[in-house]
Amino acid sequence: MSAIPDANAPSREESVFNAALALPPAQRAAFLDRTCAADGALRARVDALLRSYGESEGFMETNTAAGPHGTIVAAGSEGPGDVIGRYKIREKLGEGGCGMVYVAEQTEPVRRRVALKVIKLGMDTRSVIARFDAERQALAMMDHPNIAKVLDAGTTDKGRPYFVMELVRGIKITEYCDQHNLDTEERIRLFVQVCHAVQHAHQKGIIHRDIKPSNILVTLHDGVPVPKVIDFGIAKATEGRLTDQTIYTQLFEFIGTPAYISPEQAEMSGLDIDTRSDIYSLGVLLYELLTGKTPFDSQELLDSGLDGMRRTIREREPVAPSTRLSSMGATDLTETAHRHRAEPPRLVHFIQGDLDWIVMKALEKDRTRRFETASAMAMDLQRFLTNEPVEARPPNNWYRLQKMARRNKAVFAAAAGIVAALALGFGVSLHLYVKEKAAEKEQARLRQLAEAGLEFERTQRQHAEIGMQLWRAGVLMSQDQFDQAEALVKEVPPIPQRAALDNVLGMVRARYGKFPAAISNYIKSTQAQPTNDTGVHCLLPLLAHEGKTNEFDEWRLKALDQFQSTGDADVAERLGLDCLILPANEAEMGRIEKMLETVKSPNQPLAELARGLVEYRHGQFAAAAARLEKVVDHQPNGNAEQQARLILAMAQTKAGATVHLDPPNPTLTGPDWNEKMTTQLLANEARTVLGR
Amino acid sequence: MTEITQLLQRLDAGDPRSAEELLPLVYEELRKLAASKMAREAPGQTLQPTALVHEAWLRVAGGTAPAFHGRAHFFGAAAEAMRRILIDRARRKSAQKHGGGQARVEMDDWEIAGPAPDEQLLALDEALGKFAMLEPRKAELVKLRFFAGLTTEQAADALGISEPTAKRWWAYARAWLWEQIRAAA
Repeated sequence: MSAIPDANAPSREESVFNAALALPPAQRAAFLDRTCAADGALRARVDALLRSYGESEGFMETNTAAGPHGTIVAAGSEGPGDVIGRYKIREKLGEGGCGMVYVAEQTEPVRRRVALKVIKLGMDTRSVIARFDAERQALAMMDHPNIAKVLDAGTTDKGRPYFVMELVRGIKITEYCDQHNLDTEERIRLFVQVCHAVQHAHQKGIIHRDIKPSNILVTLHDGVPVPKVIDFGIAKATEGRLTDQTIYTQLFEFIGTPAYISPEQAEMSGLDIDTRSDIYSLGVLLYELLTGKTPFDSQELLDSGLDGMRRTIREREPVAPSTRLSSMGATDLTETAHRHRAEPPRLVHFIQGDLDWIVMKALEKDRTRRFETASAMAMDLQRFLTNEPVEARPPNNWYRLQKMARRNKAVFAAAAGIVAALALGFGVSLHLYVKEKAAEKEQARLRQLAEAGLEFERTQRQHAEIGMQLWRAGVLMSQDQFDQAEALVKEVPPIPQRAALDNVLGMVRARYGKFPAAISNYIKSTQAQPTNDTGVHCLLPLLAHEGKTNEFDEWRLKALDQFQSTGDADVAERLGLDCLILPANEAEMGRIEKMLETVKSPNQPLAELARGLVEYRHGQFAAAAARLEKVVDHQPNGNAEQQARLILAMAQTKAGATVHLDPPNPTLTGPDWNEKMTTQLLANEARTVLGR
Repeated sequence: MTEITQLLQRLDAGDPRSAEELLPLVYEELRKLAASKMAREAPGQTLQPTALVHEAWLRVAGGTAPAFHGRAHFFGAAAEAMRRILIDRARRKSAQKHGGGQARVEMDDWEIAGPAPDEQLLALDEALGKFAMLEPRKAELVKLRFFAGLTTEQAADALGISEPTAKRWWAYARAWLWEQIRAAA
């Protein structure tokens, strides 16, 4: 072998150099330690060559985008030892689409190591720096543990723009997750931190515009992985006015991976990019963390040409992450699952549903349908992790119940109809409430974007918390743990959603004979939701029963204020009766009559019962008696029949007749306890009138 | 024409002297080509080495459809010719710049876009000379790619090596030359 030298046979130096070059930079030193062992000269030589190789990026390349005047030195014109501004270059850190990144040392005003990024070719340095200066103040206001601060910008001697950033020694988030076989939950926790960082920047008015794995580096702090978002403000500064011809190379050069470009960025109008563009890119990142693939393949996008690429990004719906996984080949899927430390079917099942929805909501083509903020996305992921219902899914009661069941498996096994009934009622009202609030907030957002983002986040969180509290109360109630449920409900502010629970609590208290407690429950339900007629319908008999005549008067007036023009037969007729359990003054009587007149199609004979009582209270005894005689025939053995008989007896007695009636004394049990209470009150009155 | 074809065939047969004889012919052809192009193009327009070399090849080899190796060797010769043209020009311009009060030195009436500024070109050529002593084949690859403007694939074809090998050679050559230029600077 050594006898005849082969012209093509590489020297040992060349072989070692090429072998080292083929390895990831981090593994090269160890490889060289082993390979060069005692040969110090060889080691020094290969080290020098590797360094030279790193520095000479673009050297002797004549067919680059640099155009007709190809350059012998493209990006390699700065090197270790060179001084740029206040910074002395130490070593190369990496290279990206838009330039070289070096570790540099700053001596003034503080001594520290920084990352220095020199922008590559063909950029108008002055406008880059001008654009950067425009954002400099906002950038300086960013202060977040997951954001690498941008410290400075300037121009090199050779006229290229450079940026100085906090030094982050880490690896791409996607690589970190795969190298450490993070499971899906761990990946999500890491991603949530990224969302919080992006949210922080958005609140300061900074849009990243180039969120992609290589801009999110993971470093270890005491063994804990910490993601850092780098390059904030740089995409904006380096984005030029692009023409169609240059876009393609610009995209390739500067963005590198079109897979992360939002539909509105693909439009290239360059005018109308807002924070929701970053939300899209976050969606792509989450997609890649979950499936190992981006929604659209970068190479395919580039291959399809500029128009094809735009069309795909703007129009084609990507498949959901779980679908993407299941449609992979068995080998790919097993490999992906292995990286998540999961079995393939479990991984698909885990991602299916909530995670699919969250990712797809972030990837909506229409940005108004995406998450409003990065933290809304983070919160939804947090909800997923704690098995709470996610917002990304349109409200659906069955889904919410499923979620709750998963969270409270034991408790839920016993949960009965109450919860389901409640769910149907206030699931819808909660949804409407949230929608209404969202609309309000939308306006606020337009007025003050940054502030409103914060506010929206706050109310969103509040809604979610309230919803959960009410749900827990519902579960407790289904377990007959009413005291605990009440303690939970008490903390909820008087919003319409809690009225249903207050009503249930009031009903429970009343049926256990705890009338004062029931009264306070119904007062709360009525305050929380004034349109809640059930609350008033229970409250008025209770107040009368407890002898609280002042409160009765007060709530009767409130009820009339609220329902006087209701038009709803059930509400008007029942309430008409309730309001007259105790005598009323002329003005109130007039309002009750008006309320009854608003009813277009009265329930017979309930309407007649109410009118009969009105006439009786007016002192029109003969008219009342005539009306109620007919009612009695129609209402065998019901509460209404008993009430009609009692009022009839009183009217006849007042009209001068002698009536023989033994007023009933119903026990206040059963679902119609409040009707029975009314009967009991009328019976007591009748005993007095009849002289018994 | 026939002379060139014959030379190409002798090159294929392995006669080393034929390259030396071929070179002046290619050189001459490139000059004529550039001159005639310049006459037609607007002043200030520069010509690309790749385009020139390809066109020279078509003219030189004509319709004789020479064998693959002829073509490969032609590119080798053309790359060397191109290198000489560019280096000569860079030297002259450099001398003119540093020549103080000298009147205008006679320049060719045509201009070829050099792949790099003159000083850097000269520095590279010097390093390349040293490299060629140690690694003649890899230096040849550099000439083909840098001076003749061939792609990696075309250069690999011309050298009769695979593309991955060409890439490995290129990486090594790039690092080596860069190291040399830095050391010299």
